[in-house]
Amino acid sequence: MALPIRYSLRNALVRWRSTIATVLGIALVVFVFVLLQSLAAGIEKSSGNTGDPRNIMVMRKGSTAESTSLISRQNLQDIRYFPEIARNAEGEPVISADVLVLVNLPRRNHGGEANVLLRGVTSRGKELRPQVHLVAGRWFEPGKHEVVVSAKLAKRFANFDVGQSFKSGSATLTVVGWLAGGGSAFDSECWLDADECRAIFERNLYSSFLIRAVDDAAGEKFIQRIEADRRFKLKAEREVEYYRKQTMTAAPIKWLGNFLAVTMSIGAVFAAMNTMYAAVGARTREIGTLRVLGFRRRAVIVALLLEGGFLALLGGVLGCAVAFYWNGYTTATMGMDTFSEIVFEFSVTPMLVAKGLIFAVIVGLVGTALPAVRAARLPVIAALKSL
Amino acid sequence: MNLPGFIIRNAFRNKRRLALSVSSVAASLFLLITLQVALRELTNPINDEGSSLRIIVRNKVSLAQPLPARQLQTLERIPGIVAVSPFSFYGGLYKGDEKFTSFAQFAVDPARTGLLLADAKISKAQTEAWVADQTSCIVGKMTTDRYGLKIGDRMKFTGQIYPCDLELKIAGIYHGTADDRNVIFHQKYLDELLGNPGTVGTWWVRAASAAEVPLVTERINRAFANTSAEVRAESERAFVLGFVSMWANIKTLIGGISIVVIFALLLVTVSTMSMAIRERFRELAILKAIGFRRRELFAFILAESFGLAIGGAIFGAGGAWMVYHLLNIQKLTNGLFVMFEVTPRMMGLAFSVAALLGVLAAIAPMFTVARTSVVQGLKTLD
Repeated sequence: MALPIRYSLRNALVRWRSTIATVLGIALVVFVFVLLQSLAAGIEKSSGNTGDPRNIMVMRKGSTAESTSLISRQNLQDIRYFPEIARNAEGEPVISADVLVLVNLPRRNHGGEANVLLRGVTSRGKELRPQVHLVAGRWFEPGKHEVVVSAKLAKRFANFDVGQSFKSGSATLTVVGWLAGGGSAFDSECWLDADECRAIFERNLYSSFLIRAVDDAAGEKFIQRIEADRRFKLKAEREVEYYRKQTMTAAPIKWLGNFLAVTMSIGAVFAAMNTMYAAVGARTREIGTLRVLGFRRRAVIVALLLEGGFLALLGGVLGCAVAFYWNGYTTATMGMDTFSEIVFEFSVTPMLVAKGLIFAVIVGLVGTALPAVRAARLPVIAALKSL
Repeated sequence: MNLPGFIIRNAFRNKRRLALSVSSVAASLFLLITLQVALRELTNPINDEGSSLRIIVRNKVSLAQPLPARQLQTLERIPGIVAVSPFSFYGGLYKGDEKFTSFAQFAVDPARTGLLLADAKISKAQTEAWVADQTSCIVGKMTTDRYGLKIGDRMKFTGQIYPCDLELKIAGIYHGTADDRNVIFHQKYLDELLGNPGTVGTWWVRAASAAEVPLVTERINRAFANTSAEVRAESERAFVLGFVSMWANIKTLIGGISIVVIFALLLVTVSTMSMAIRERFRELAILKAIGFRRRELFAFILAESFGLAIGGAIFGAGGAWMVYHLLNIQKLTNGLFVMFEVTPRMMGLAFSVAALLGVLAAIAPMFTVARTSVVQGLKTLD
């Protein structure tokens, strides 16, 4: 016969003073794990949320990021009239030749300097990226040295308010508007006119082309055509695919999160063992009595495991709850793919919460296993005699 | 039995608990040290002798923006400069690497780098061979060891930043710099592959003396002010710290996690200590009854708690020191970390944390013992 679950739960709660340290210890481990993983999840979410499935990006073969790719103007002429590229109402091919420039700018409040990604974009480029819209001011006018910055970057960089201006290279750029990318990677960009951008930063070459394919089959055909043509030394891939592969920033954070979780959990397991050994020690007579009453060893083990697991679960819930406090909080770091400041949000996903809780319960069960076996192995008579 | 003997016997009475407590303190301190080492490695520039004299000149727009090669003539005329060479970060993928190559490749003018790379130890014959052959390179010993390369071997790189691939012959192997990993080759070769664009990545400059570094930096910045390519010259240290500032909140994050770890540590030790005391409540009451003073009881508790924490520190911090000393961290982390050195200061930190912990953990049990009367204590059953 199994012991009632209530026995385990009440036992765990009745000694709350001595178990609170264990619960808090496990809560801290889960907190650190969930918080770091939510950072990585936030980064992945922002790049995974970027792009339009109908779009195809063309870059130089060999480059892994748009910002380090270089494509000649000749290539633009060659590709421009491919039949796979959709036409707009005026019969123009929907292709945008962008140029990306990294610009070192000061943060607000003397927070040092960081690279910002400037995207020189054509009017087609805006059409191709419907995720991006204006939230303040107006769009830039070509030829006037105007720039539209991301609203999220504007909170972090000096002179990014509408109407202010900053100097870079030979030009002074005036901020005329704020853009929002709807939680995509475009939230970490500033846009200005492509030709103007190439002139200011003395770029003969483009960074990337973005095209809209006529339909899915044409897109596939376009990708194959670019890859197969040896003239080009270019590669084409779907825009969403490109952004999904931008994982160089999230990977080390994930690694750190896992590493910390494992190391800290070793400490937590020892602490849980300590608590449970003490719990078993204090209840030696009680356990002996249970055995005399006819409860089997298995029942005692299960009851104690439940007790430890329950404690750990409490810790896990607490840890997740504290981590959830940061959910949606905007932060930034240097993106390792673009080499520029990327803005993203802590993202505590249900999946992460589940992982955190499972992790906590495992820590609890591992910590309880040995004490539970010890309790079950106690000789009944000796246990009853013990004081 | 004397007092120290009594304390030690008491501590070892429950061996399992002692082992578990010491291990959990040790695991946490190990982690604390690891975080500190990683943080130092990420934020502290590696220094060697030459670095205090080196100045790095980049485009004011950003590091990614090239500089005109014609700036060399102006730079050479600036007083206080003893050497100047282009240093273009090629940033290629070494054959076989998928996404990330752990060592850098720089294009330089070999005839000008003698003083700039003064720390690099390399035979004269090898240097001459390198200078003579435009498609050759010199490679740091860490890299040749890692990939099992020797002089005469060829290294292939796929360009990621530059639109050209490289194939370089190893002419020499150097060692003795703070970071013996880089591949250094001819800027002329890179120029040829690119069709002579007339640009370089950065300039590296060596000042005549450390005292002159700020002056020379200032002169360089002024010399190119209001030209089409304004520059930012800064000491090597300032340059590296500029990178660190780009990490933004990551540094705060690791600092915050260290505090969480210390706090978790405190919880564990406190709970262990109070458990140990609760178990012995009756005993302490007896000691009180037979005439031991409160002070002496406090000393018992404090000594045990302190000893436990320091024991944890010896295993945890000492273990970290040994592990990071013996393991080849560079190989394990794929070149992300190079030195991974546990400094005396970190050991000091770990032991101070442990000592503080030992004292803090003793406070609660001491209060309990002080408050309970002998009769109460004797009545307690577990």
